[in-house]
Amino acid sequence: MSLTGLTFVIFCITTLIIYFIFPKKYKWVVLFISSLIFLFYKNLNINTLLQALIILLTSYIFGRLIEKNKDNKLGKRYLIIGIFIIIALLCYLKYTNLFITTINSISSLLNIKIKLNLVERNALIGISYYSLIMISYLVDIYWGKTESEKNIFKLALFMSYFPILTSGPFINYSEIKEDLYTHHKFDTKRISSGLIRILWGLFKILVISLRISTLVNTVYNNPNQFVGFFNILASLFFVIELYTNFSGSIDIIMGVSEIIGINLPENFASPFFSKSITELWRRWHITLGTWLKNYVFYPLQKSRAMQWINTKSRNILGKKRGKKVAMYLSMLIMWVLIGAWHNGAYTFIIGSGILQFIYIFLEDTLTPISKKINEKLGINTECFSYKLYQMIRTYCLFSLSMVFFRSATVKDAIIFIKNMFVFNEIYVIKEGIYNLGLDLLDLKLLFISILVLFIVDYIKTKGNIREKLFNQNLPFRWLIIFTLIFSIAIFGCYGIGFDPATFIYGQF
Amino acid sequence: MSKEEIFERLNKVFRDVFDDESITVTENTTSSDIEDWDSLEHINLIVAVENEFKIKFNMGEVTTMKNVGEMANIIESRIK
Repeated sequence: MSLTGLTFVIFCITTLIIYFIFPKKYKWVVLFISSLIFLFYKNLNINTLLQALIILLTSYIFGRLIEKNKDNKLGKRYLIIGIFIIIALLCYLKYTNLFITTINSISSLLNIKIKLNLVERNALIGISYYSLIMISYLVDIYWGKTESEKNIFKLALFMSYFPILTSGPFINYSEIKEDLYTHHKFDTKRISSGLIRILWGLFKILVISLRISTLVNTVYNNPNQFVGFFNILASLFFVIELYTNFSGSIDIIMGVSEIIGINLPENFASPFFSKSITELWRRWHITLGTWLKNYVFYPLQKSRAMQWINTKSRNILGKKRGKKVAMYLSMLIMWVLIGAWHNGAYTFIIGSGILQFIYIFLEDTLTPISKKINEKLGINTECFSYKLYQMIRTYCLFSLSMVFFRSATVKDAIIFIKNMFVFNEIYVIKEGIYNLGLDLLDLKLLFISILVLFIVDYIKTKGNIREKLFNQNLPFRWLIIFTLIFSIAIFGCYGIGFDPATFIYGQF
Repeated sequence: MSKEEIFERLNKVFRDVFDDESITVTENTTSSDIEDWDSLEHINLIVAVENEFKIKFNMGEVTTMKNVGEMANIIESRIK
Protein backbone atom coordinates (compact mmCIF):
# COMPACT_ATOMS: atom_id res chain seq x y z
CA MET A 1 0.00 0.00 0.00
CA SER A 2 1.69 3.19 -1.14
CA LEU A 3 1.83 5.96 1.46
CA THR A 4 0.90 8.55 -1.15
CA GLY A 5 -1.90 6.49 -2.73
CA LEU A 6 -5.66 6.87 -2.37
CA THR A 7 -6.00 3.36 -0.85
CA PHE A 8 -3.79 4.43 2.05
CA VAL A 9 -5.85 7.59 2.60
CA ILE A 10 -9.09 5.59 2.68
CA PHE A 11 -7.48 2.96 4.90
CA CYS A 12 -6.28 5.59 7.40
CA ILE A 13 -9.56 7.51 7.51
CA THR A 14 -11.55 4.29 8.07
CA THR A 15 -9.15 3.13 10.78
CA LEU A 16 -9.27 6.51 12.55
CA ILE A 17 -13.07 6.79 12.48
CA ILE A 18 -13.50 3.26 13.88
CA TYR A 19 -10.69 3.88 16.41
CA PHE A 20 -12.27 7.02 17.83
CA ILE A 21 -15.83 5.63 18.05
CA PHE A 22 -14.84 2.26 19.54
CA PRO A 23 -15.08 1.71 23.33
CA LYS A 24 -11.94 2.66 25.28
CA LYS A 25 -11.06 -0.88 26.25
CA TYR A 26 -10.93 -2.21 22.69
CA LYS A 27 -9.29 0.64 20.82
CA TRP A 28 -6.06 -1.32 20.55
CA VAL A 29 -8.02 -4.15 18.88
CA VAL A 30 -8.94 -1.72 16.07
CA LEU A 31 -5.25 -0.96 15.55
CA PHE A 32 -4.46 -4.67 15.66
CA ILE A 33 -7.01 -5.55 12.96
CA SER A 34 -5.98 -2.59 10.78
CA SER A 35 -2.36 -3.64 11.09
CA LEU A 36 -3.21 -7.18 10.03
CA ILE A 37 -5.03 -5.84 6.96
CA PHE A 38 -2.06 -3.60 6.11
CA LEU A 39 0.44 -6.41 6.69
CA PHE A 40 -1.27 -8.91 4.41
CA TYR A 41 -2.73 -6.42 1.90
CA LYS A 42 -2.61 -8.15 -1.52
CA ASN A 43 -0.06 -10.60 -0.12
CA LEU A 44 -1.94 -13.14 1.98
CA ASN A 45 -0.78 -16.71 1.41
CA ILE A 46 0.60 -19.66 3.37
CA ASN A 47 4.15 -18.39 2.82
CA THR A 48 3.64 -14.89 4.25
CA LEU A 49 1.35 -16.14 7.02
CA LEU A 50 4.06 -18.57 8.09
CA GLN A 51 6.71 -15.83 8.12
CA ALA A 52 4.62 -13.63 10.42
CA LEU A 53 3.68 -16.54 12.67
CA ILE A 54 7.29 -17.74 13.03
CA ILE A 55 8.48 -14.32 14.21
CA LEU A 56 5.46 -13.72 16.45
CA LEU A 57 5.48 -17.16 18.11
CA THR A 58 9.27 -17.15 18.53
CA SER A 59 9.12 -13.73 20.23
CA TYR A 60 6.15 -14.69 22.39
CA ILE A 61 7.34 -18.11 23.54
CA PHE A 62 11.02 -17.22 23.97
CA GLY A 63 10.16 -13.89 25.60
CA ARG A 64 8.22 -15.78 28.29
CA LEU A 65 10.94 -18.44 28.66
CA ILE A 66 13.73 -15.83 28.93
CA GLU A 67 11.82 -13.97 31.63
CA LYS A 68 11.32 -17.14 33.69
CA ASN A 69 14.97 -18.15 33.37
CA LYS A 70 16.65 -14.73 33.41
CA ASP A 71 18.77 -15.56 36.43
CA ASN A 72 20.04 -18.95 35.30
CA LYS A 73 22.01 -20.23 32.32
CA LEU A 74 18.88 -21.32 30.45
CA GLY A 75 17.85 -17.67 29.96
CA LYS A 76 20.88 -16.95 27.81
CA ARG A 77 20.30 -20.13 25.80
CA TYR A 78 16.70 -19.23 25.11
CA LEU A 79 17.80 -15.74 24.06
CA ILE A 80 20.34 -17.15 21.61
CA ILE A 81 17.83 -19.64 20.13
CA GLY A 82 15.16 -16.93 19.79
CA ILE A 83 17.51 -14.50 18.05
CA PHE A 84 18.87 -17.31 15.86
CA ILE A 85 15.41 -18.27 14.57
CA ILE A 86 14.53 -14.66 13.68
CA ILE A 87 17.90 -13.98 12.00
CA ALA A 88 17.80 -17.31 10.12
CA LEU A 89 14.39 -16.41 8.67
CA LEU A 90 15.55 -12.89 7.77
CA CYS A 91 18.70 -14.24 6.08
CA TYR A 92 16.68 -16.84 4.16
CA LEU A 93 14.33 -14.16 2.87
CA LYS A 94 16.78 -11.32 2.25
CA TYR A 95 20.30 -12.64 1.91
CA THR A 96 20.06 -15.81 -0.20
CA ASN A 97 20.93 -13.78 -3.30
CA LEU A 98 23.93 -12.15 -1.59
CA PHE A 99 25.19 -15.66 -0.82
CA ILE A 100 24.56 -16.78 -4.42
CA THR A 101 26.37 -13.76 -5.98
CA THR A 102 29.32 -14.31 -3.62
CA ILE A 103 29.58 -18.00 -4.62
CA ASN A 104 29.30 -17.05 -8.33
CA SER A 105 31.98 -14.34 -8.04
CA ILE A 106 34.39 -16.61 -6.18
CA SER A 107 33.85 -19.48 -8.62
CA SER A 108 34.40 -17.23 -11.65
CA LEU A 109 37.59 -15.87 -10.04
CA LEU A 110 38.82 -19.42 -9.53
CA ASN A 111 37.67 -20.44 -13.02
CA ILE A 112 35.23 -22.99 -11.65
CA LYS A 113 32.17 -23.43 -13.81
CA ILE A 114 29.41 -23.00 -11.25
CA LYS A 115 26.67 -20.53 -11.89
CA LEU A 116 23.82 -20.49 -9.41
CA ASN A 117 20.65 -18.69 -10.43
CA LEU A 118 19.27 -15.88 -8.30
CA VAL A 119 16.09 -16.68 -6.43
CA GLU A 120 13.02 -14.61 -5.75
CA ARG A 121 11.63 -14.62 -2.22
CA ASN A 122 8.24 -13.28 -1.31
CA ALA A 123 9.10 -11.51 1.95
CA LEU A 124 6.34 -9.94 3.99
CA ILE A 125 6.24 -6.14 4.10
CA GLY A 126 8.29 -4.63 6.92
CA ILE A 127 10.15 -7.82 7.77
CA SER A 128 13.51 -5.99 8.10
CA TYR A 129 11.89 -3.70 10.65
CA TYR A 130 10.00 -6.04 12.90
CA SER A 131 12.73 -8.71 12.86
CA LEU A 132 15.07 -6.23 14.55
CA ILE A 133 12.28 -4.83 16.72
CA MET A 134 11.50 -8.31 18.02
CA ILE A 135 15.19 -9.11 18.60
CA SER A 136 15.46 -6.01 20.80
CA TYR A 137 12.26 -7.10 22.59
CA LEU A 138 13.89 -10.43 23.54
CA VAL A 139 17.20 -8.79 24.52
CA ASP A 140 15.45 -6.17 26.66
CA ILE A 141 13.64 -8.92 28.59
CA TYR A 142 16.97 -10.68 29.15
CA TRP A 143 18.61 -7.43 30.29
CA GLY A 144 15.71 -6.77 32.65
CA LYS A 145 14.73 -3.55 30.86
CA THR A 146 11.17 -4.71 30.27
CA GLU A 147 8.70 -7.45 31.11
CA SER A 148 7.40 -9.89 28.53
CA GLU A 149 3.94 -9.31 27.01
CA LYS A 150 1.44 -11.88 28.23
CA ASN A 151 -1.23 -11.20 25.63
CA ILE A 152 -0.07 -12.60 22.27
CA PHE A 153 -2.46 -10.33 20.34
CA LYS A 154 -0.99 -7.25 22.01
CA LEU A 155 2.48 -8.48 21.11
CA ALA A 156 1.25 -8.99 17.54
CA LEU A 157 0.11 -5.35 17.47
CA PHE A 158 3.53 -4.19 18.70
CA MET A 159 5.15 -6.25 15.94
CA SER A 160 2.89 -5.13 13.13
CA TYR A 161 1.73 -1.60 14.10
CA PHE A 162 0.81 -0.49 10.57
CA PRO A 163 2.40 2.99 10.35
CA ILE A 164 5.90 1.60 10.84
CA LEU A 165 5.66 -1.31 8.39
CA THR A 166 6.82 0.53 5.27
CA SER A 167 9.78 2.65 6.43
CA GLY A 168 10.10 2.36 10.21
CA PRO A 169 11.09 4.06 12.49
CA PHE A 170 12.36 1.37 14.86
CA ILE A 171 10.31 1.29 18.02
CA ASN A 172 11.18 -0.10 21.43
CA TYR A 173 8.67 -2.15 23.40
CA SER A 174 9.40 -0.59 26.80
CA GLU A 175 9.08 2.92 25.36
CA ILE A 176 5.91 2.46 23.30
CA LYS A 177 3.79 -0.14 25.12
CA GLU A 178 1.82 2.33 27.25
CA ASP A 179 1.00 4.53 24.27
CA LEU A 180 0.13 1.55 22.09
CA TYR A 181 -2.37 -0.19 24.37
CA THR A 182 -4.05 2.69 26.18
CA HIS A 183 -6.91 4.60 24.60
CA HIS A 184 -6.38 8.02 23.06
CA LYS A 185 -9.07 10.65 22.96
CA PHE A 186 -10.01 12.69 19.93
CA ASP A 187 -7.84 15.81 20.25
CA THR A 188 -8.19 18.52 17.59
CA LYS A 189 -4.80 20.16 18.26
CA ARG A 190 -3.01 16.83 18.00
CA ILE A 191 -4.94 15.94 14.84
CA SER A 192 -4.17 19.25 13.10
CA SER A 193 -0.52 18.92 14.13
CA GLY A 194 -0.43 15.38 12.64
CA LEU A 195 -2.14 16.58 9.45
CA ILE A 196 0.42 19.35 8.94
CA ARG A 197 3.18 16.80 9.31
CA ILE A 198 1.48 14.55 6.72
CA LEU A 199 1.19 17.52 4.32
CA TRP A 200 4.88 18.31 4.74
CA GLY A 201 5.70 14.65 4.03
CA LEU A 202 3.56 14.74 0.88
CA PHE A 203 5.28 17.95 -0.24
CA LYS A 204 8.70 16.33 0.18
CA ILE A 205 7.70 13.22 -1.79
CA LEU A 206 5.39 14.59 -4.48
CA VAL A 207 6.93 17.98 -5.15
CA ILE A 208 10.64 17.33 -4.56
CA SER A 209 11.49 13.63 -4.51
CA LEU A 210 9.52 12.48 -7.55
CA ARG A 211 10.59 15.51 -9.60
CA ILE A 212 14.25 15.12 -8.72
CA SER A 213 14.09 11.38 -9.42
CA THR A 214 13.38 12.12 -13.11
CA LEU A 215 16.67 14.00 -13.35
CA VAL A 216 18.65 11.45 -11.33
CA ASN A 217 17.22 8.49 -13.25
CA THR A 218 17.97 10.10 -16.63
CA VAL A 219 21.65 10.47 -15.76
CA TYR A 220 22.03 7.08 -14.06
CA ASN A 221 20.19 5.20 -16.81
CA ASN A 222 22.20 6.75 -19.66
CA PRO A 223 25.86 6.34 -18.71
CA ASN A 224 26.94 6.72 -22.36
CA GLN A 225 25.20 10.06 -22.74
CA PHE A 226 26.09 11.80 -19.48
CA VAL A 227 29.50 12.32 -17.90
CA GLY A 228 31.36 14.92 -15.82
CA PHE A 229 29.18 17.74 -14.51
CA PHE A 230 25.98 15.70 -14.99
CA ASN A 231 27.28 12.79 -12.91
CA ILE A 232 28.29 15.19 -10.14
CA LEU A 233 24.88 16.86 -10.31
CA ALA A 234 23.02 13.53 -10.24
CA SER A 235 25.04 12.26 -7.28
CA LEU A 236 24.42 15.49 -5.32
CA PHE A 237 20.72 15.41 -6.20
CA PHE A 238 20.27 11.73 -5.43
CA VAL A 239 20.95 12.42 -1.75
CA ILE A 240 18.15 14.99 -1.75
CA GLU A 241 15.88 12.52 -3.56
CA LEU A 242 16.66 9.86 -0.98
CA TYR A 243 16.23 12.23 1.95
CA THR A 244 12.93 13.72 0.77
CA ASN A 245 11.57 10.31 -0.13
CA PHE A 246 12.59 8.61 3.10
CA SER A 247 12.00 11.44 5.56
CA GLY A 248 8.80 12.36 3.69
CA SER A 249 7.50 8.82 4.26
CA ILE A 250 8.51 9.10 7.91
CA ASP A 251 6.61 12.42 8.18
CA ILE A 252 3.45 10.75 6.82
CA ILE A 253 3.90 7.76 9.14
CA MET A 254 4.53 9.91 12.20
CA GLY A 255 1.68 12.24 11.31
CA VAL A 256 -0.77 9.32 11.07
CA SER A 257 0.51 7.91 14.36
CA GLU A 258 0.29 11.33 16.01
CA ILE A 259 -3.37 11.60 14.96
CA ILE A 260 -4.03 8.23 16.62
CA GLY A 261 -2.18 9.53 19.70
CA ILE A 262 0.92 7.36 19.55
CA ASN A 263 4.19 9.28 19.39
CA LEU A 264 6.92 7.55 17.44
CA PRO A 265 10.65 8.30 17.87
CA GLU A 266 12.17 10.83 15.45
CA ASN A 267 14.23 9.35 12.61
CA PHE A 268 15.74 12.51 11.09
CA ALA A 269 17.07 15.75 12.54
CA SER A 270 18.04 18.10 9.69
CA PRO A 271 20.94 15.89 8.51
CA PHE A 272 22.24 18.34 5.89
CA PHE A 273 23.34 20.68 8.65
CA SER A 274 25.90 18.13 9.88
CA LYS A 275 29.51 19.24 10.05
CA SER A 276 30.91 15.72 9.85
CA ILE A 277 29.83 12.25 8.72
CA THR A 278 29.85 11.19 12.38
CA GLU A 279 27.31 13.92 13.12
CA LEU A 280 25.33 13.12 9.98
CA TRP A 281 24.69 9.59 11.22
CA ARG A 282 23.38 11.02 14.48
CA ARG A 283 20.83 12.93 12.40
CA TRP A 284 20.04 10.41 9.61
CA HIS A 285 18.03 7.21 10.21
CA ILE A 286 18.47 7.85 13.94
CA THR A 287 16.46 4.88 15.20
CA LEU A 288 18.49 2.37 13.17
CA GLY A 289 21.68 3.91 14.57
CA THR A 290 20.35 3.71 18.13
CA TRP A 291 19.26 0.12 17.62
CA LEU A 292 22.66 -0.94 16.31
CA LYS A 293 24.50 1.00 19.01
CA ASN A 294 22.52 -0.63 21.83
CA TYR A 295 22.17 -4.15 20.48
CA VAL A 296 25.33 -4.65 18.37
CA PHE A 297 28.05 -2.08 19.03
CA TYR A 298 27.95 -1.91 22.85
CA PRO A 299 27.53 -5.66 23.48
CA LEU A 300 30.25 -6.41 20.92
CA GLN A 301 32.68 -3.87 22.36
CA LYS A 302 32.04 -5.14 25.87
CA SER A 303 32.35 -8.82 24.86
CA ARG A 304 35.20 -10.89 26.29
CA ALA A 305 36.83 -11.24 22.85
CA MET A 306 36.93 -7.46 22.29
CA GLN A 307 38.14 -6.83 25.83
CA TRP A 308 40.95 -9.34 25.23
CA ILE A 309 41.88 -7.49 22.01
CA ASN A 310 41.68 -4.24 23.96
CA THR A 311 44.14 -5.41 26.62
CA LYS A 312 46.58 -6.80 24.04
CA SER A 313 46.48 -3.73 21.82
CA ARG A 314 46.98 -1.40 24.80
CA ASN A 315 50.08 -3.40 25.76
CA ILE A 316 51.48 -3.13 22.24
CA LEU A 317 50.35 0.34 21.09
CA GLY A 318 50.04 2.15 24.39
CA LYS A 319 46.92 3.32 26.23
CA LYS A 320 45.74 6.03 23.87
CA ARG A 321 46.11 4.25 20.54
CA GLY A 322 45.53 0.77 21.91
CA LYS A 323 42.00 1.46 23.11
CA LYS A 324 40.99 2.41 19.56
CA VAL A 325 41.66 -1.05 18.05
CA ALA A 326 38.68 -2.89 19.59
CA MET A 327 36.55 0.22 19.05
CA TYR A 328 37.28 0.40 15.32
CA LEU A 329 36.85 -3.35 14.92
CA SER A 330 33.40 -3.27 16.57
CA MET A 331 32.56 -0.23 14.46
CA LEU A 332 33.55 -1.98 11.22
CA ILE A 333 31.33 -4.97 12.05
CA MET A 334 28.47 -2.60 12.89
CA TRP A 335 28.81 -0.67 9.62
CA VAL A 336 28.92 -3.83 7.50
CA LEU A 337 25.69 -4.86 9.24
CA ILE A 338 24.11 -1.44 8.58
CA GLY A 339 24.98 -1.81 4.89
CA ALA A 340 23.68 -5.38 4.79
CA TRP A 341 20.47 -4.42 6.60
CA HIS A 342 19.62 -1.92 3.84
CA ASN A 343 19.72 -4.67 1.27
CA GLY A 344 21.58 -7.91 0.74
CA ALA A 345 23.76 -6.54 -2.08
CA TYR A 346 27.39 -5.39 -2.17
CA THR A 347 26.44 -1.92 -3.42
CA PHE A 348 24.69 -1.31 -0.09
CA ILE A 349 27.35 -2.99 2.03
CA ILE A 350 29.93 -0.66 0.45
CA GLY A 351 27.83 2.51 0.08
CA SER A 352 25.94 2.66 3.34
CA GLY A 353 28.38 0.46 5.24
CA ILE A 354 32.10 0.23 4.65
CA LEU A 355 32.53 3.71 3.11
CA GLN A 356 30.77 5.29 6.08
CA PHE A 357 33.13 3.40 8.39
CA ILE A 358 36.13 4.70 6.43
CA TYR A 359 34.82 8.28 6.66
CA ILE A 360 34.26 8.07 10.41
CA PHE A 361 37.59 6.32 10.95
CA LEU A 362 39.39 9.08 9.00
CA GLU A 363 37.47 11.80 10.84
CA ASP A 364 38.40 10.29 14.20
CA THR A 365 42.08 9.85 13.36
CA LEU A 366 42.58 13.09 11.41
CA THR A 367 40.73 15.49 13.75
CA PRO A 368 43.70 16.00 16.13
CA ILE A 369 45.99 16.69 13.12
CA SER A 370 43.58 19.15 11.48
CA LYS A 371 43.09 20.87 14.87
CA LYS A 372 46.85 21.47 15.07
CA ILE A 373 47.03 22.70 11.47
CA ASN A 374 44.11 25.09 12.04
CA GLU A 375 45.72 26.44 15.20
CA LYS A 376 49.08 27.00 13.44
CA LEU A 377 47.47 28.73 10.48
CA GLY A 378 45.20 30.74 12.75
CA ILE A 379 42.01 29.49 11.06
CA ASN A 380 38.83 30.42 12.92
CA THR A 381 36.79 27.21 13.08
CA GLU A 382 33.87 28.82 14.90
CA CYS A 383 32.86 31.29 12.19
CA PHE A 384 29.92 30.75 9.80
CA SER A 385 32.06 30.32 6.65
CA TYR A 386 34.12 27.50 8.21
CA LYS A 387 31.00 25.71 9.44
CA LEU A 388 29.44 26.09 5.97
CA TYR A 389 32.59 24.58 4.44
CA GLN A 390 32.30 21.63 6.85
CA MET A 391 28.64 21.12 5.94
CA ILE A 392 29.33 21.22 2.19
CA ARG A 393 32.27 18.83 2.61
CA THR A 394 30.08 16.39 4.59
CA TYR A 395 27.32 16.61 1.99
CA CYS A 396 29.73 15.93 -0.89
CA LEU A 397 31.37 12.97 0.86
CA PHE A 398 27.97 11.49 1.67
CA SER A 399 26.80 11.99 -1.93
CA LEU A 400 29.88 10.18 -3.20
CA SER A 401 29.19 7.14 -1.02
CA MET A 402 25.54 7.13 -2.06
CA VAL A 403 26.59 6.54 -5.70
CA PHE A 404 27.04 2.91 -4.61
CA PHE A 405 23.63 2.96 -2.95
CA ARG A 406 22.00 4.12 -6.20
CA SER A 407 23.97 2.00 -8.70
CA ALA A 408 22.86 -1.44 -9.82
CA THR A 409 26.30 -3.00 -9.38
CA VAL A 410 29.62 -2.08 -7.77
CA LYS A 411 31.17 -1.93 -11.24
CA ASP A 412 28.53 0.57 -12.41
CA ALA A 413 29.22 2.74 -9.37
CA ILE A 414 32.97 2.81 -10.02
CA ILE A 415 32.42 3.73 -13.70
CA PHE A 416 29.96 6.44 -12.61
CA ILE A 417 32.51 7.95 -10.19
CA LYS A 418 35.31 7.74 -12.78
CA ASN A 419 33.08 9.58 -15.27
CA MET A 420 32.62 12.41 -12.77
CA PHE A 421 36.14 13.50 -13.60
CA VAL A 422 35.49 13.97 -17.31
CA PHE A 423 35.52 17.66 -18.28
CA ASN A 424 32.46 19.07 -20.06
CA GLU A 425 32.58 22.11 -22.34
CA ILE A 426 30.29 24.93 -21.16
CA TYR A 427 27.99 24.60 -24.20
CA VAL A 428 27.53 20.87 -23.48
CA ILE A 429 26.37 21.72 -19.97
CA LYS A 430 24.06 24.47 -21.24
CA GLU A 431 22.42 22.16 -23.77
CA GLY A 432 22.48 19.02 -21.64
CA ILE A 433 20.73 20.57 -18.66
CA TYR A 434 17.46 20.57 -20.64
CA ASN A 435 17.89 16.92 -21.65
CA LEU A 436 17.57 15.66 -18.09
CA GLY A 437 13.84 15.07 -18.34
CA LEU A 438 12.83 18.38 -16.73
CA ASP A 439 12.01 21.65 -18.47
CA LEU A 440 13.01 25.13 -17.26
CA LEU A 441 9.84 25.53 -15.20
CA ASP A 442 10.49 22.22 -13.46
CA LEU A 443 14.08 23.17 -12.74
CA LYS A 444 13.00 26.51 -11.26
CA LEU A 445 10.34 24.77 -9.18
CA LEU A 446 12.88 22.24 -7.99
CA PHE A 447 15.28 24.98 -6.97
CA ILE A 448 12.60 26.86 -5.00
CA SER A 449 11.22 23.74 -3.29
CA ILE A 450 14.72 22.60 -2.25
CA LEU A 451 15.31 26.08 -0.84
CA VAL A 452 12.06 25.77 1.16
CA LEU A 453 13.23 22.34 2.38
CA PHE A 454 16.54 23.76 3.63
CA ILE A 455 14.84 26.73 5.32
CA VAL A 456 12.34 24.45 7.10
CA ASP A 457 15.14 22.09 8.16
CA TYR A 458 17.13 25.05 9.44
CA ILE A 459 14.16 26.31 11.51
CA LYS A 460 13.85 22.76 12.88
CA THR A 461 17.38 22.96 14.27
CA LYS A 462 16.15 25.86 16.41
CA GLY A 463 13.13 24.04 17.87
CA ASN A 464 9.75 22.47 17.11
CA ILE A 465 8.57 24.09 13.88
CA ARG A 466 4.91 23.11 14.27
CA GLU A 467 4.83 24.60 17.78
CA LYS A 468 6.22 27.79 16.25
CA LEU A 469 3.49 27.68 13.60
CA PHE A 470 0.75 27.18 16.20
CA ASN A 471 2.02 30.24 18.05
CA GLN A 472 1.34 32.42 15.00
CA ASN A 473 -1.94 34.24 14.44
CA LEU A 474 -4.74 32.44 12.62
CA PRO A 475 -4.45 34.16 9.18
CA PHE A 476 -0.72 33.46 8.90
CA ARG A 477 -1.20 29.85 10.06
CA TRP A 478 -3.82 29.20 7.41
CA LEU A 479 -1.78 30.98 4.77
CA ILE A 480 1.08 28.53 5.36
CA ILE A 481 -1.26 25.51 5.43
CA PHE A 482 -3.11 26.53 2.25
CA THR A 483 0.16 27.28 0.46
CA LEU A 484 1.32 23.78 1.36
CA ILE A 485 -1.92 22.17 0.19
CA PHE A 486 -1.99 24.07 -3.11
CA SER A 487 1.72 23.43 -3.74
CA ILE A 488 1.13 19.71 -3.38
CA ALA A 489 -2.00 19.77 -5.53
CA ILE A 490 -0.56 21.97 -8.27
CA PHE A 491 3.16 21.19 -8.29
CA GLY A 492 3.05 17.56 -7.16
CA CYS A 493 4.10 14.82 -9.56
CA TYR A 494 1.33 12.29 -10.02
CA GLY A 495 0.82 9.08 -11.93
CA ILE A 496 2.82 5.93 -12.39
CA GLY A 497 6.27 6.53 -13.80
CA PHE A 498 5.74 10.27 -13.53
CA ASP A 499 5.90 11.99 -16.85
CA PRO A 500 6.54 15.75 -16.56
CA ALA A 501 4.24 16.32 -19.55
CA THR A 502 1.31 15.15 -17.48
CA PHE A 503 1.84 17.55 -14.57
CA ILE A 504 -1.32 18.92 -13.15
CA TYR A 505 0.15 22.40 -13.38
CA GLY A 506 0.71 21.79 -17.09
CA GLN A 507 -3.02 22.37 -17.59
CA PHE A 508 -2.98 25.85 -16.10
CA MET B 1 31.90 3.48 50.70
CA SER B 2 30.40 6.96 50.85
CA LYS B 3 29.01 8.82 47.82
CA GLU B 4 31.87 11.35 48.13
CA GLU B 5 34.42 8.57 47.87
CA ILE B 6 32.62 7.09 44.85
CA PHE B 7 32.64 10.46 43.08
CA GLU B 8 36.29 11.01 43.99
CA ARG B 9 37.22 7.69 42.41
CA LEU B 10 34.92 8.37 39.43
CA ASN B 11 36.72 11.67 38.84
CA LYS B 12 40.00 9.77 38.68
CA VAL B 13 38.58 7.30 36.11
CA PHE B 14 37.00 10.02 33.96
CA ARG B 15 40.21 12.08 33.95
CA ASP B 16 42.21 9.03 32.97
CA VAL B 17 39.83 7.80 30.20
CA PHE B 18 39.28 11.20 28.60
CA ASP B 19 42.81 12.40 29.25
CA ASP B 20 41.61 15.65 30.81
CA GLU B 21 42.67 16.64 34.33
CA SER B 22 40.09 19.42 34.51
CA ILE B 23 37.08 17.04 34.58
CA THR B 24 35.00 17.01 37.77
CA VAL B 25 31.83 14.93 37.60
CA THR B 26 28.65 15.51 39.60
CA GLU B 27 25.31 13.67 39.92
CA ASN B 28 23.97 15.55 36.90
CA THR B 29 26.95 15.22 34.55
CA THR B 30 25.90 13.66 31.24
CA SER B 31 27.74 12.72 28.05
CA SER B 32 26.90 16.13 26.56
CA ASP B 33 28.97 17.83 29.30
CA ILE B 34 32.20 16.04 28.37
CA GLU B 35 33.44 16.61 24.85
CA ASP B 36 34.97 13.19 24.21
CA TRP B 37 32.24 11.14 25.90
CA ASP B 38 30.44 9.83 22.83
CA SER B 39 29.07 6.41 21.90
CA LEU B 40 32.51 5.34 20.66
CA GLU B 41 34.14 6.00 24.07
CA HIS B 42 31.19 4.94 26.23
CA ILE B 43 32.24 1.30 26.65
CA ASN B 44 35.88 2.25 27.35
CA LEU B 45 34.57 4.39 30.20
CA ILE B 46 32.22 1.66 31.46
CA VAL B 47 35.00 -0.95 31.50
CA ALA B 48 37.37 1.47 33.29
CA VAL B 49 34.71 2.15 35.96
CA GLU B 50 34.11 -1.61 36.32
CA ASN B 51 37.82 -2.21 36.84
CA GLU B 52 38.14 0.62 39.37
CA PHE B 53 35.26 -0.60 41.56
CA LYS B 54 35.64 -4.33 40.79
CA ILE B 55 31.97 -4.59 39.77
CA LYS B 56 30.09 -5.48 36.57
CA PHE B 57 27.33 -3.46 34.96
CA ASN B 58 24.77 -5.46 33.00
CA MET B 59 24.08 -4.40 29.43
CA GLY B 60 20.64 -3.07 30.31
CA GLU B 61 22.30 -0.61 32.70
CA VAL B 62 24.99 0.26 30.17
CA THR B 63 22.41 1.29 27.58
CA THR B 64 20.05 3.18 29.90
CA MET B 65 22.32 5.10 32.31
CA LYS B 66 21.35 8.75 31.87
CA ASN B 67 23.90 10.55 34.02
CA VAL B 68 26.81 10.00 36.38
CA GLY B 69 24.38 10.08 39.34
CA GLU B 70 22.68 6.90 38.06
CA MET B 71 26.09 5.33 37.53
CA ALA B 72 27.08 6.16 41.12
CA ASN B 73 23.81 4.71 42.46
CA ILE B 74 24.44 1.41 40.68
CA ILE B 75 28.02 1.34 41.99
CA GLU B 76 26.79 2.06 45.53
CA SER B 77 24.23 -0.75 45.37
CA ARG B 78 26.81 -3.24 44.06
CA ILE B 79 29.59 -2.64 46.56
CA LYS B 80 27.37 -2.70 49.66
